[in-house]
Amino acid sequence: MTKVFLLAISFFSSLVSLAGDGVYNVSLIPEVLLKNAGAVKRMEVIEFEISESNSATLRHKVAYTILNEQGDRWAFFQAGYDRLRSVSSFEGTLYDAQGNKLKNLKKGDIKDESGMDDASLADDNRVKWHSFFYKVYPYTVEYEVVVKYKGTMFLPDWIPQEKNTMSVQQSRLVVICPATNPLRFQSYHYESKPVITESGRNKSYEWEVKNLATVEEEYASPAWYRQTTSVFPVTEKFSLEDYQGSNASWSDFGKFVFDLKSNRDALPANIKQKVHELTDHVNNTNEKIKLLYEYMQQNTRYISIQLGVGGWQPFDAKFVAEKKYGDCKALSNFMSALLKEAGIRSLYTVINAGGNNDYLIKDLPSSQFNHVILMVPQAKDTVWLECTSQILPAGYLGNFTSDRYALAVDENGGTLVRTPVYGYKENLQVRNIKATINETGNLDAQIFTRYKAEQQDRLFQVIKGLSKDKLMEFLKEDIELATYDIKSFHYDEVKTFVPEIKETLELVADNYATVSGKRLFLIPNIISRSHRKLKVNESRKNDIVLGMAYTDMDTTAIQIPDGYKAESIPQDVALNSKFGNYQSALKINGNTIVYTRQFECFNGSFPPADFAALAKFYETIYKADRAKLVFVKNQ
Amino acid sequence: MFQKHFIFGLFCLIAFQISSAQDKPPVKFGDVSAKDFETKVYSIDSNASAVVIADVGSCTVEGNRKGWFSVLTKHYKRVHILNKNGYDLANVSIRLFSNGEDEEILEKLKAITYNLEGGKVVETKLDNKSGVFEDKLDKKNKIKKFTFPNIKEGSILEFEYTTTSDFINTPDPWEFQGAYPRLWSEFTFNVPVFFNYTFLTQGYLPYTVRTAKEEITNFNITDPGGTGPSAHYSFSSRVIANRWAIKDVPALKEESYTTTVDNHIQKIAFELVERSAPLAYYRYIEAWPKVANNYLNYEYFGYNLTRENNFLRDISKSILTGSESKEVMSRKIFEWVRNNFTCTNYHRVLMDHGLKAVAKAKSGTVAEINLLLTALLLDNKIEADPVVLSTRSNGFAYSIFPLMSQYDYVICRAKINDKYIMLDASEPQMGYGFLPLRCYNGYARVMSKMAPAIDLLADSVSETKSTLVFVVNEGNGKYAGSMQQTPGYYESLDIRDKIKSKGVEQLQKDIKSAFGSDVEISNFGVDSLKNLDGPIGIHYDFMLDDVTEDIVYINPLFGEGYKDNPFKSAERKYPIEMPYAMDETYTLQMEVPQGYIVDELPKSMVLKLNEQEDGLFEYRLSHYGESISMRCRLVFKKANFLPEEYELLREFFSMVVKKQSEQIVFKKKK
Repeated sequence: MTKVFLLAISFFSSLVSLAGDGVYNVSLIPEVLLKNAGAVKRMEVIEFEISESNSATLRHKVAYTILNEQGDRWAFFQAGYDRLRSVSSFEGTLYDAQGNKLKNLKKGDIKDESGMDDASLADDNRVKWHSFFYKVYPYTVEYEVVVKYKGTMFLPDWIPQEKNTMSVQQSRLVVICPATNPLRFQSYHYESKPVITESGRNKSYEWEVKNLATVEEEYASPAWYRQTTSVFPVTEKFSLEDYQGSNASWSDFGKFVFDLKSNRDALPANIKQKVHELTDHVNNTNEKIKLLYEYMQQNTRYISIQLGVGGWQPFDAKFVAEKKYGDCKALSNFMSALLKEAGIRSLYTVINAGGNNDYLIKDLPSSQFNHVILMVPQAKDTVWLECTSQILPAGYLGNFTSDRYALAVDENGGTLVRTPVYGYKENLQVRNIKATINETGNLDAQIFTRYKAEQQDRLFQVIKGLSKDKLMEFLKEDIELATYDIKSFHYDEVKTFVPEIKETLELVADNYATVSGKRLFLIPNIISRSHRKLKVNESRKNDIVLGMAYTDMDTTAIQIPDGYKAESIPQDVALNSKFGNYQSALKINGNTIVYTRQFECFNGSFPPADFAALAKFYETIYKADRAKLVFVKNQ
Repeated sequence: MFQKHFIFGLFCLIAFQISSAQDKPPVKFGDVSAKDFETKVYSIDSNASAVVIADVGSCTVEGNRKGWFSVLTKHYKRVHILNKNGYDLANVSIRLFSNGEDEEILEKLKAITYNLEGGKVVETKLDNKSGVFEDKLDKKNKIKKFTFPNIKEGSILEFEYTTTSDFINTPDPWEFQGAYPRLWSEFTFNVPVFFNYTFLTQGYLPYTVRTAKEEITNFNITDPGGTGPSAHYSFSSRVIANRWAIKDVPALKEESYTTTVDNHIQKIAFELVERSAPLAYYRYIEAWPKVANNYLNYEYFGYNLTRENNFLRDISKSILTGSESKEVMSRKIFEWVRNNFTCTNYHRVLMDHGLKAVAKAKSGTVAEINLLLTALLLDNKIEADPVVLSTRSNGFAYSIFPLMSQYDYVICRAKINDKYIMLDASEPQMGYGFLPLRCYNGYARVMSKMAPAIDLLADSVSETKSTLVFVVNEGNGKYAGSMQQTPGYYESLDIRDKIKSKGVEQLQKDIKSAFGSDVEISNFGVDSLKNLDGPIGIHYDFMLDDVTEDIVYINPLFGEGYKDNPFKSAERKYPIEMPYAMDETYTLQMEVPQGYIVDELPKSMVLKLNEQEDGLFEYRLSHYGESISMRCRLVFKKANFLPEEYELLREFFSMVVKKQSEQIVFKKKK
């Protein structure tokens, strides 16, 4: 009897494992989620519970099914921590394709490493991470961590679809906070409202999505979080160590930022004296700003130290005066103190720096910043100062911080301000080339170029950052010609609020023109060719976001050897569109070819339907920039 | 004694006593005067943003309180910052290692910034309490970091510190060279005669000073004695002060086609070979066969390779029928390991877990995966040995001494039908009998009884690529072609990786955009994608724009060929180390477009890199009636070239690019 019973059980359990009834069985993934996917997020719960004392607990449980190599990155799970957060629990389990449990993670296999970025001298970022390093696809990893937060300045963001090649079966965000400290949030692509329930003294907010399929990556798209379902929650009141803050308005949040730095601007006597020495005899305020900014540049450098609340609070001005270094907060605060001593008011301004200028969520006052600059309001124009650079001309920002919202703070609180835009009339590249081609096709060119505003940003870093011989090496590799050499170069800087660089290059390129038999082939556009070429996407979904606007102007005169006549001449091109204007024209006077080109490229946001027209626009330019002239020898 | 001096004498003692007019560091700690600020441009490098005035290290073996010896290293450095681009020298990182028992500690750190203010030298000291930070990288590694305060253009910086290390077998190497020029770089190693270290030097610069002086030193050792009383030992011994110094060391820069810049930096490394009286004699570095044998018996390397392991039997049973040939068996075993295991670390020689645990986890380091592969082969009576090597990025290994710290990789060599075959199961797409390019770094060692050396040379790897294009008239002015291409094995590997991560559509899009926009591509296909033991095949048809102009220019390479010279930099100071030799052939058969005649054809040519024909370029084009045929071939017989050959290589490629840009001209029939 017993034997029969045992047999029955084992028969039954083997059936079970054959059938694979695990909740993570791959067969339970809807077909539509598998298309183009490297991984599927099977389930996720992010639960963030805020106590009345402004501490919080994050419980995060997530399971990813890794379908193939493209999904490998989701097989690594990490939890960051620092002085204000600690990881109190870290669990993980591996399942096979049928959803059968293979094993749990071993505590000893959790790596604990420094999460410091290379730019910092010291910070407290650390990371615990784990991977099963499994590779029998498909398989599922499930992780669950608990993180204790000492403050509530940062709540977890919810972007369930983390990347376009990952699909989501289900994900849920739950935020529980005291009813006395309600939640504020901004959501994107979330059709309904969150479910709000009250229980006792707490209020809970819940969002959930199901079945998000992968999407195709699109050129010039808005930030990912604006393309997909996302929720950004903050509480009205928050704390950071001993400091209390409010997200009720930008003014309130700005007040918090200001309080963190208040009473930190006292300067030592010798520095005060220096300020007066430098500026007392000067009448013009802009001139004073420039002198003090240059003094700051000469006497400090950027060193990042971010420990605990020090990640948000600047070292005081005295520290910077003594050590002669600081991070963006400390240097801006120091610069502000210098200006104050000279009787000039300036505002400490927090900003989200980087390539993307539409990152800030305007309607959600909260900590969304990673950098500090200084705003110096003037009767006519505001002067902006980037204090972490030892080389930037006074008053110029560059595309790291230009054209975006920022929060300027003072004792009355914060105000959203917009940093300057450099448009297609400022971002100039004006080029003038005089060149000759010899009998064998070798090119010898004198190239004069004037770069202005954001068109000079890259070159500025290069000429300031490299010694003369390294700069020569750079120039010898930077230009897109098959084989060429730079004979000489020269740079002049024009250090105005909108700066300029004037460049003179002598360039030789062997076989620039192809001479084969009796013909000579030549592209008159030598080094100003557009590289943009788009793959046409018929089902474009996102708006087209075009970044920097600029204008390129070229005048090129090329002299060719005697005895040739033109056989094929590219047609002149003139395009006018909402994306910009383009013209190229060619004249031949005896042995001299004169090529002119003007490209005004606009920025802005355009509807998806415009994509085909944009592709056509770029395509036409791409071709026109490479159009060949053919000469044939007079017989 | 004789034996010892023999080995030792190879490298130092009497043979080297070089000394010159300047044989002392030009400066010493704390001795900074206004005069030292005067130089604004140094003749060694007029472009330098900072110059290292002196970099001085000395290493001494001392008795410690743990019953053994430690090495004490003093480091002193003076830097003159000339402009802002040299500020990064003001940030200093010191890496320290500990394994729980033995450790490295940092002591006596002093750092001072000197500025000239109003003609006077003003000092600013580093505050050791608030200014030194520690970054714990992981359990065993940490970094102490500090930055000099009060830096300006023109500042002089000095630091001095001591590290004490219990790891006496391999004291830190001394690098004479770095990213900034150095006026003086010197290192002294005080070696007691009872320790015999070997010195491994590398680089192209001669020593300004090379001396070996003898003195007598007392050694005191305290043995804490565990539970018993502690014991003290004291004795004196001769100590040889070996000193190396180089004056005016130029800065070092990374160039393209280099294995690693570490292979070219001027440096000296040390390795403890043996100890002798008054200590009990012990040889740390044995001859290769002995070392290999030790490794084969070592729990974390070879111990389990030859033991009866039931789990290996179980695996074998699950993947083999038992009736296969040796060749089929080894292939099946290799593929099973490759397809089922994930490599977690590509730089490891020892195992961190036992073979059984690795087999269970389905993941492991490169050492663990390839040792498991070796064990499985041996379990099936296939002759196989692990091979240790140093990958290209890890630098060359010295062949004379078995210095295991120089190796970072393990592969497997199997013998099948009297032929050796190299296997690496750590790479998911690597074929049977192929090694990743990083393994071709010269010398490697088979860990077998006789421990023979083998060469894995980049020169021996040849990438063969062939491309075949047909272009025909399809009527109605349509001019269409078909392309069949077999890339080299390693290029295929790159394409396989790309397809795996981005899909085959992406490859098609890339080819289309390389071709230019006027071309329609159809019937696109990739063959042999899953057959990892050979190259892939790519094929597609293309349709050119309507041919209607009076004169039509066509480049016969149809998007293939070199558009750029890979050797961009105008000059070269190091050898050129390409990843492989190559042989690329492009063949074309095309019809003259209907209604056109040939007006002009590029001329045929043959170009040789040198007399040995290490590089060869052939461009042959001919025209009979309505048909044009072409063959274009580029061959490099070897992968490594001398710096003197650089200019030649650059010119050679320049000619190739030029020739491949030439066009065929067709004219409409009148």
